[in-house]
Amino acid sequence: MTITNLLFPAILALSQATAVADGGTVLFRDETGRLAVTVFASPSPLSAGPVDISLLLQNQNGLEPVLDAEVSLLLRAESSGVEIRAHATREQARNKLLYAAPVTLESGKWLVEAAVLRNGERAEARGVIDVAPTPEMAMSYLSYIAFPLSMTAGFVFRERLIRRKLKGRA
Amino acid sequence: MDPVAAAVLGSWTLDLRAVCLLFAVALLYLRGWLRLRIEMPHKFTARRPAAFLAGLLAIFVALESPLDTFGGLLLQAHMVQHLLLIMVAPPLLLLGQPVLPLLRGLPRWIFKDALGPFLGSGGLRRIGRALVHPIVSWSALATSIVVWHLPRFYELGLRSQAWHQAEHACFFWSALLFWWPVVGVWPSHPVWQTWAMIPYLVLADLVNTGLSAALTFSDHVLYPSYQLAPRLWGISALDDQTTAGAIMWVPGSIVFLVPAVILGMRVLESVRSRPAQRAAASQVSVTRILAKPQWDLLRVPILGSILRRRHFRRWIQGAMLLLALGVAVDGFHGPQVAAMNLAGVLPWTHWRGLTVIALLMAGNLFCMACPFTLPRDLLRKFAPPRYRWPAQMRSKWIAVGLLAAYLWAYEAFAFWDSPRETAWIIVGYFTAALVVDSVFKGASFCKYVCPIGQFHFVHSLISPLQVKIRKPAACESCRTHDCIRGNEQHRGCELQLFQPKKMGNFDCTFCLDCVQACPQENIGILRTLPGESLSGDHRGSGIGQLSRRPDVAALSLILVFGAFVNAAGMTEPAMMWMHRLHARLGMSSMLPVTSIVYAAGLLIIPAALAAGCGWISLRAAPANTGWKDLTCSFALALVPVGFGMWLAHFSNHLVAGWSSVVPVAERFFTRIAPDSYPRTWMPGWLPSLEALFLDLGLLLTLYTAWRVARRVSNSDQAALAVVSPWVVLASALWAAGLWVVFQPMQMRGTMLMR
Repeated sequence: MTITNLLFPAILALSQATAVADGGTVLFRDETGRLAVTVFASPSPLSAGPVDISLLLQNQNGLEPVLDAEVSLLLRAESSGVEIRAHATREQARNKLLYAAPVTLESGKWLVEAAVLRNGERAEARGVIDVAPTPEMAMSYLSYIAFPLSMTAGFVFRERLIRRKLKGRA
Repeated sequence: MDPVAAAVLGSWTLDLRAVCLLFAVALLYLRGWLRLRIEMPHKFTARRPAAFLAGLLAIFVALESPLDTFGGLLLQAHMVQHLLLIMVAPPLLLLGQPVLPLLRGLPRWIFKDALGPFLGSGGLRRIGRALVHPIVSWSALATSIVVWHLPRFYELGLRSQAWHQAEHACFFWSALLFWWPVVGVWPSHPVWQTWAMIPYLVLADLVNTGLSAALTFSDHVLYPSYQLAPRLWGISALDDQTTAGAIMWVPGSIVFLVPAVILGMRVLESVRSRPAQRAAASQVSVTRILAKPQWDLLRVPILGSILRRRHFRRWIQGAMLLLALGVAVDGFHGPQVAAMNLAGVLPWTHWRGLTVIALLMAGNLFCMACPFTLPRDLLRKFAPPRYRWPAQMRSKWIAVGLLAAYLWAYEAFAFWDSPRETAWIIVGYFTAALVVDSVFKGASFCKYVCPIGQFHFVHSLISPLQVKIRKPAACESCRTHDCIRGNEQHRGCELQLFQPKKMGNFDCTFCLDCVQACPQENIGILRTLPGESLSGDHRGSGIGQLSRRPDVAALSLILVFGAFVNAAGMTEPAMMWMHRLHARLGMSSMLPVTSIVYAAGLLIIPAALAAGCGWISLRAAPANTGWKDLTCSFALALVPVGFGMWLAHFSNHLVAGWSSVVPVAERFFTRIAPDSYPRTWMPGWLPSLEALFLDLGLLLTLYTAWRVARRVSNSDQAALAVVSPWVVLASALWAAGLWVVFQPMQMRGTMLMR
C-alpha cells in the first residue's frame, strides 16, 4: 500500500466538507514534498460544463504562497475514461495567488492529478471531484426570461394605476 | 514590490457588467445634477456629486477589488467588503441627495410616461414612506446583519455565488433604508426629530457591537468554510475571525457614533430652521423642474456645424465610395477566402454590425453616407432624368420581392463566403441605382427599389433621432415649401417628405437636403420616442398611413421573420436539420432545400401567421374594424422584436470578428500576406448582450401592440383580446431568438477559434 493510497481517504474526507474561496469551492488539499497544494473549482456548486480549476501552492513552512511554479493538470473521468490535460497559470486566475485552468467537464466523478514543477523538483497531488449534471435549461435561461416578464408586470401595474387615477378624477 | 503583494493587489475582478452599470448610474446622476445645479445651486452644490461618486467608488472597491477575491479565504477581507457595502457606500450615496438628480437625469419620456404613474401613486408613496420610517429601516438593517451573520446563512453565501449576491443586496438595500432618515434625503419629509436619530444610531451600534463581540471573543471558528480554507501567511482561522470581529467593532462603531455626535452637536446648536426649510423646499413641484429645451443634434457644438455644412454629405459619400471600390477590387482580385478578403470581412462583419448599431443609437446613418447615389448625382448634372416613377408602382412591392430574393440568395449562394460574388453585388448596386435614377426623377431607387434602404427605413422607426421641424409655427407662414420643392441654392426632399407633415423616419434617408433648403433654418435632428410612429395611425407626407399599407406590412413581416431565419440558418442544429432534409429528399444540390426553407420562412409562414392572428384579433375587435388594417397595424408592431434579432445577430459577428479587418487591410495595401489572421473572439458577456437586445425588442413590440390594440378597442378587456394572438406570436419569435443565441454558430467570414 503506497503513501498515496493512504492519503486518499484523508483527501476524500477533506473533500466532503466543502468550503468556498476564490477559485471557488475547495475540492481537496494535499501535502506533497515541500508544498501544500489546495485545489479549487468554480462555479459553485460544481456542475457539468465550463469549469475553472485553480490551485494554491504554499510552502509547508510558513505557508507563503509559491508564485514561480509550473503547474499542469490531468483530469480523468472515472466512467468514460476521458482525459483532459491543461496547463494552469496565474494569468488565467482572477486571484493572482492561484494557478488556474479552464476546462470543460461532463457530469460524474473525475480523478484530478496536479503536477508541480519548481526549481527542478517535481511534486504531485491527487484527488477526486464530483461534477453534478448541468442545471435544467430553463434555469439557465431564467434571468433572460425574468427581465421581460418583470418589465411587462410593471407595465400592467402602471396601466392599472393610470386607470385608477382616471376613475378617481371621474 | 514583493511578488506576493503585487499578486494580491493585482487580483481585481473587473466584471464588465458591474462596471458599466456603475458608470451608467454615475452618468445619469451627473446629467441630472448639472441641470438641477442651475435651478437650485444652494441645494445641489459640488459636494453632492463628490459624495455620490465616492459612494459608487466604494461599491466598486467592495465588489471588484481584491477584497472580493480574497473574501473566501480571509474573513477579515470579507468583513471589510461588508462594511463598505453597509457603512460607507450607502451614506455617501444618500449624501449626494440622489433622488432628484437620478430622476432628472433620465430621458423625459422615461420619467414622465414610464415612471410618472408610479411616482404619482398615493399607495406607492405610502409604501415608500413606510419603508424609510425609522422603526422599519432600523429593523431592516438589524435583521439583515444578524441573520446573515448566523453561521447557517453565512455559509450559504460562501457556498453559492447566487446567495452571496443576495446577501450583498440585502446588506446594501437595508443600509440605504437605514441611513435615509439619518441623512435626511430630499424631498422626503423627516418623520422624527433630529435628536431621535441619536438613540437610533446608538442602538444600531449596540447590535453591531454584540455581533462583533461574538466574533472577536469566540473560542472556536464560527464559519466552517474558513476552517477548511487554506491559511495564508500563517494566519489561523481563529485569528482571522478575531481580527474580522475587531474590524466590525471598531470602525463599525465609529461609523455609527460619529454621526450621532454630529447630530447631537447640531441639536445643541438648535438648528430649528432646518425642518421648516425642508418643508418649504419640498413644496417645489418636481415636475415643474423638468421643463427643458429641445435637444438638436445639429446644434451640438462642432458636430452640429460639421453636419450642417453644405458638402458634408458629399464628403462621407465620397469616403464610402472609395471604401466600396476597394472592397470590390479586392473581391475581384484578392484571395478568394472570405476571412482574408476585404469583400468577405468588411460588408458581412463590420458594415452590417455598425449600421444596426447606428440605427439603435441615432438613425439612418447608412443612407446618409450611401455611396450608390453619388454616381447618379454626377450623371444628373449632364443628363437629368425626364420621367416620374410610374404611379402604379409607387409602393414597396418591388422592394419586398427584392428583399426576399436577397435574403434567400445570401444563404443559397453563400455570399458571405464568396468575395467575388460580394464584389458583383456592389457593382450591381451601383449599376441599378444609376440606371433607375438616370431615367426617373427624385430618389426613385431609394424609395421604391433598394432593399438595403427598406431595411433601414423600417428599422429607423425605432431610432431615437428624427429629422423634423423645430417650431411648427415657423412653417405656418411658409409658402415656398423649400423643404420639399427646393430652391435655387439647394434641392428639396427627393423622397417627397414634406417636413410639417412628416411622420417618423420612414423613407427618410437623413440626406439633410431639407435642412439645407429651409430658408428659416427650422429643421433639425431632434430626439424622438423610439417606436412612436409604429403604433400611430396618422397620415404622413409621402408615405400615407403606414397602418393601411399592405406593402409596408409585407416588408415588415419579411424583415422580422427574415431576422430569425437568417440567424437560425447559421446554427449547427439548423444546418444539420437542413442536411438531413437534403439527404431525405435525395437531391444533388442544397439549393432546393434552401429555397424551400426560405420560401416557408420568409413568405408562407409569416403570411399564414399574420393572417391567422389578424383573423383572431378581428373577432374581438369592434365591428367597424377591417382585417387588413388590423393586420397591417400589428405587423408593424412586430418590427422591434425583429430588430432585436438583427441586432443580436450582427453584433455577434461584429464583436467576434472585429479585429479581422486589420490583417486583411494590411494585405490589401502592402500586398504582403500577414503572418497570421486573428481568431474569432467570443467574450462571455456576448450572449447576455444579445439576449438583452432580444428582450428590449420584445418589450417594445408588446408595448406597441398594446397601443395599437387600445387604439382600435373600446375597453381594456377588448384590447387584451385583440392583442393576445400578437403577444403569443411575438413571444414565440423572442423564444426562438433566445434559442438561436445560445446555439453553437458557424462563424462566417472569420477564422474559427481553437
